[in-house]
Amino acid sequence: MNIEKLVIRLSNDPFNSELNFDLAEEYLALNQTASAVSFYLRCAEYSGEASAKAYISLIRMAQCFEDQQGREYSVSNCLFQALAYDDTRPEAYFKLSQYYEKAGSWQEAYTFAVLGQGWANEPIDDLSEKVGYYGSYCLLFQRYIAAWWIGRKDESIDGLRVLAKINTHQIYKDAVAYNLEKLDALL
Amino acid sequence: MNLVQKAVANGGRLAPIVIPNGLTSGTGLMNPSIFIDDDGDILVNLRHVNYTLYHAENKQRFSSRFGPLSYLHPEKDQRLVTENYLCRLDSKLTITDFTRVQMQSLHQPIWEFVGLEDARIVQWESKYFLIGVRRDTTTNGVGRMEYTEIAIDKDKWEVREVFRKRISAPAPDDSYCEKNWMPVADKPYTFVKWTLPTELVYSHPSSQETEQVFVRHSITPPTDQRGGSQVIKWGSMYICITHEVDLFKNYLDQKDAIYRHRLVMWDEQFNFAGMSKPFSFLDAQVEFAVGAAKYGEDLLISFGFQDNAAFVVQVPKLVVEDLIIEGLQYEH
Repeated sequence: MNIEKLVIRLSNDPFNSELNFDLAEEYLALNQTASAVSFYLRCAEYSGEASAKAYISLIRMAQCFEDQQGREYSVSNCLFQALAYDDTRPEAYFKLSQYYEKAGSWQEAYTFAVLGQGWANEPIDDLSEKVGYYGSYCLLFQRYIAAWWIGRKDESIDGLRVLAKINTHQIYKDAVAYNLEKLDALL
Repeated sequence: MNLVQKAVANGGRLAPIVIPNGLTSGTGLMNPSIFIDDDGDILVNLRHVNYTLYHAENKQRFSSRFGPLSYLHPEKDQRLVTENYLCRLDSKLTITDFTRVQMQSLHQPIWEFVGLEDARIVQWESKYFLIGVRRDTTTNGVGRMEYTEIAIDKDKWEVREVFRKRISAPAPDDSYCEKNWMPVADKPYTFVKWTLPTELVYSHPSSQETEQVFVRHSITPPTDQRGGSQVIKWGSMYICITHEVDLFKNYLDQKDAIYRHRLVMWDEQFNFAGMSKPFSFLDAQVEFAVGAAKYGEDLLISFGFQDNAAFVVQVPKLVVEDLIIEGLQYEH
């Protein structure tokens, strides 16, 4: 549905959390991240106490700020808000692990990956995939990459070799192969 | 009922104003100003900013690190930078052309608010003007309305600033910030500087001074009525969209705000005739309208949503006249 139709629908029920989410998704598809933030935030604020879409909205907002660049405090703030909203889902742990990985904060990246594993139940839903979380192996990948940089060489290499044998999203197949190749060259 | 809902329910139209993110990095597209020129082209000046406005509504469970209402600019760049894009719409209010307004490089900005903000577009004596506030010419952010005359190449769809003039306030011209003056579309170089009491001013681009035409007292509104769209002719009346804002702070001393709009009307001599009840466009707490144009029998209003999105709503004559009737019955 295009933006015009979604806004008209929203105008009839402006505080409907789900309608705000749908409109935010449409803006994000156009990479209009500021517009998307407005409606993701309204989705979260007008949601109930246990809304998967509110949770994913907070993570999507982090993604929007990351795309805009130079707004790292806002990225992490949204992810921590998602974690506080629902600490029983794995996605926010996963994104925080990625966030700290990008910052080169390896112990934090490792820790959030490990914490997330405690909630990495399968199967995952469509909302999880929206934020790049395809399954528990995503957290394992984060963990094994970070492990290398905090002195856990064996955990890193052994773990990546196990990941190489399981069925994962192509992005992870490529990333695991790339990292094993690099590590093998070093050893 | 919000105005978009009412307009669409009565046969109106809602049009999102979006230009590709490759031009804008995805940050805010806001406060569009609509105008129909002598050729019948529907023009919109679209403001692009380098920030994302973060406004937590409802119970404010998810404020930003800086509070419920904050401007999320790049964390290592405190500036709030504005650029302007001129768009042309077709009869379905779809963008057919857009281009960045090429501004002259006349000075180095020396304050944090950079650029021409909330520019209203008009055409006076065949010249196009963007008229907004600029606050980057002093180190403490003194704001004055400015004329930016633009040349539009409609074949190539290129737009460039050809003349700029800072508009003084009427003497003694010692105020800190002048903004949101509403140009009167059919009275060249004339503005409603203040709605109630109604203050009309005249400032020719070639003149250094701004003349106060009159200040006319009528009612005292419950809240200050600030500009606003252009002031346009509607039948035998002048009408405009004003805004009112409730600025407040939460218990942590963090700022917050609620904006609402009204339709205000005067007779042809600018005697106050009435104003509607406050309304919102889409029930957000931060919305802002800086454009209005008569389109056939209907009214086009352009507005920004939380500084992050821009829309044009076509309001059917029936709905406009309901607002006018409501306004004429305004009790004070």
